[in-house]
Amino acid sequence: MNLHLSPADLAFRDEVRAFLRENVTPEVARRSRIAMHPPHDGDRTAWQRVLAAKGWAAPAWPREYGGTGWTHLQHHIFEFECRMAHAPELRWQGIKLIGPVICTFGTPEQKARLLPRTLTGEYTWAQGFSEPGAGSDLASLKTTAMLDSEGWVVNGQKLWTTEGQFSNMGFFLVRTAQTERPHKGISMIVLDMKSPGVTVRTIPMINGDHSTCEVFLDQVRVPKDNLIGEPGTGWDQAKFLLSNERTSSADIYKSFGDLARIRSIAAIEEVRGRPLLQDPTFARKLAALEIEVQTLEWSVLRVMAQAPSAHPIAAAASVLKVRGSELQQRLTELATEALGPRALREYTREEGFADADGDPLWHDLTPGVTVDQMYLRAVTIFGGAKEVQKNIIAKLAFGL
Amino acid sequence: MNFDLSDEQRMLAESATRYVREQCTLERKRDIARGDDGYSRERWAEFAGMGWLALPVSEESGGLGGGPVEVALLMEALGRGLVNEPVVDSVVLCGALLSHEQAQGRAGALLGALIGGDAVPTLAHLEAGERNEYEAAVATTARRVEGGWQLSGVKHVVRHGHGATHWLVTARVERVSNETGIALFAVDRTTAGVRVASHRLIDGTRGADLHFDAISLPADALLLAPGPAALALAEALDRAVLALCAAALGSMEAVMAMTADYLKTRVQYGQPLARFQALTHRMAEMFVETEQARAALWRAIAAVEAAELQERARAISAAKWLVARAGLLVTGQGIQLHGGIGVTEEYAVGHHYKALVAFDKRLGDADFHLLRSSTLFNAHFEPAAA
Repeated sequence: MNLHLSPADLAFRDEVRAFLRENVTPEVARRSRIAMHPPHDGDRTAWQRVLAAKGWAAPAWPREYGGTGWTHLQHHIFEFECRMAHAPELRWQGIKLIGPVICTFGTPEQKARLLPRTLTGEYTWAQGFSEPGAGSDLASLKTTAMLDSEGWVVNGQKLWTTEGQFSNMGFFLVRTAQTERPHKGISMIVLDMKSPGVTVRTIPMINGDHSTCEVFLDQVRVPKDNLIGEPGTGWDQAKFLLSNERTSSADIYKSFGDLARIRSIAAIEEVRGRPLLQDPTFARKLAALEIEVQTLEWSVLRVMAQAPSAHPIAAAASVLKVRGSELQQRLTELATEALGPRALREYTREEGFADADGDPLWHDLTPGVTVDQMYLRAVTIFGGAKEVQKNIIAKLAFGL
Repeated sequence: MNFDLSDEQRMLAESATRYVREQCTLERKRDIARGDDGYSRERWAEFAGMGWLALPVSEESGGLGGGPVEVALLMEALGRGLVNEPVVDSVVLCGALLSHEQAQGRAGALLGALIGGDAVPTLAHLEAGERNEYEAAVATTARRVEGGWQLSGVKHVVRHGHGATHWLVTARVERVSNETGIALFAVDRTTAGVRVASHRLIDGTRGADLHFDAISLPADALLLAPGPAALALAEALDRAVLALCAAALGSMEAVMAMTADYLKTRVQYGQPLARFQALTHRMAEMFVETEQARAALWRAIAAVEAAELQERARAISAAKWLVARAGLLVTGQGIQLHGGIGVTEEYAVGHHYKALVAFDKRLGDADFHLLRSSTLFNAHFEPAAA
């Protein structure tokens, strides 16, 4: 048993910090700190190039495809430090979702064609899983891909395709066969979003922005060798994809960042003539959330390290999703609370990313806070709704 | 970083689990609770035989040198079985005080007797008007007299105060230049001039009020002088809190297991309760809380191992706060999911709930530990070294 950072871990942390100090400019840090959804497109594109040049763009991939071979703890340190330095958040769809699937299930040709450009950010990926009639019950999806002499023809509609408007490639779950057990007929296919017949329509969301899309697929022709693995194995690939999200779904890095943001806001906002941070009622709420986040970090470490447990690790992973998403919501609520009445101002994307104008009535920690609270109402819904996670926990932990 | 147990640690956990499964039935616990002591001396002798009484004591002091991990493994198993013997009070808490590097007088001899199972000491620190041991302002006094000390005062809700063989009593003594400080004394159960008023506690143990009326103590009764006493006390309390958290976690695991079984067997509306999603989701929520409680315990263990004082205090208090909240939820909902049988005295789930209520009230409640865990609050909560 070893519960502490080794000298090598500490040296690694110093290396990451030095790299971040050198490469994250104050302007970029400011725009990253302001939680607009989606994040600043130019910043994240540039940041991915910087990371790719350093060899750190996709740390978790196998080494031969550009990964780093880091330990779990090093991944943890890296993510934590990136967040604390306000480095731009990378697009996760390529790096964290489809990348590992291609590394594991792709043909040598697919790997060579798709992975390098995903690593550099040249390919920006859209995820097409949910449909109007297939949300939590994903296996009931209806989008089809039919094979003819020239390749696949895809027809259907996808929903909640996050950042689809910025994507030039997509990975879609499609039905390639009608089977008795619905998930047996599902395959994963990748396609060029510029293909004829692909229509992307952004959806205005309650955060006042267009963070997600619906995608219409009308007689879209896709090359034969764009299917990942054998037809009918898409469900396994989707499960694999989600299992890679095991610990990142807690997003404790964001939560640690939010704690810092709340402290900063509460240090300048005042109540009855003193900083909000010194108000006992507010301070207790913040103290309780600090304990929760710091504790959840240890839950994450336990799952990462596959700590011995009387319960299946997948149940513990669902715990991370449930509690992690709840905490994210509570943190954004407390941040909004800290701002007081000025939290009601709705910032557009342009206003949020604009340079601070020095208006003393609107300090620079204001933009992005309320937007974040609105956006994060979705965090208990996407990636497996909280209620689905509870079903999983009850089944895996107790056989219920 | 890894959380794997060594072979020795695994064996310790397995033997404790087996002992609890075979020996610690609810019937036996209820029998013991009906006795005067609130614990079983027979069982205490068995614990000595298992080596558990020597577990956290350093090897130089004749113990087994177990750390916070070993203590947590043992206590989780004992918590599962609602074991009321004073392992935390005597072995962890008093053991830490007696083996402190600046302990003196009878400390060494008492420690040897504790390890052998012959002495069962308990801490007598809290007084009326005080809510927790960390901040307790001690009014009890000890005055240096010819050949020793004279001690007066009243100690309140002393856990195992009736069944202990020795009390480790905090008392204010005069230091140089009219200042006073808190020191720790050993007092034999048989000392003349002590009135003991024993009370039942809700978890089946016994508490006592101890009235010391100018009792005489020999010179070697002084175990820890002012200064070292406060530091030793803060550390010993933290170790005891960690052990209590582990026992609480054992209760939570036990409640989840028995409740899941109950949902599978109890039939209503023609189907097992396990078919009702409102109930299975409640179980999932209990699991989330329990996993968080376990993570809080590990954070605290890591902090104790790292021996960084401020982080130790914060992590221990964070664990106490979080485990109390999680434990009350889990055991309370355990009762709820059982329905009527859950509130009966002959069913274990209610006893686990009472164990958690007792946990929350012991060694500082949730409100106190939330304050102590956070750097937001300027006041510092370590007892003044004075």
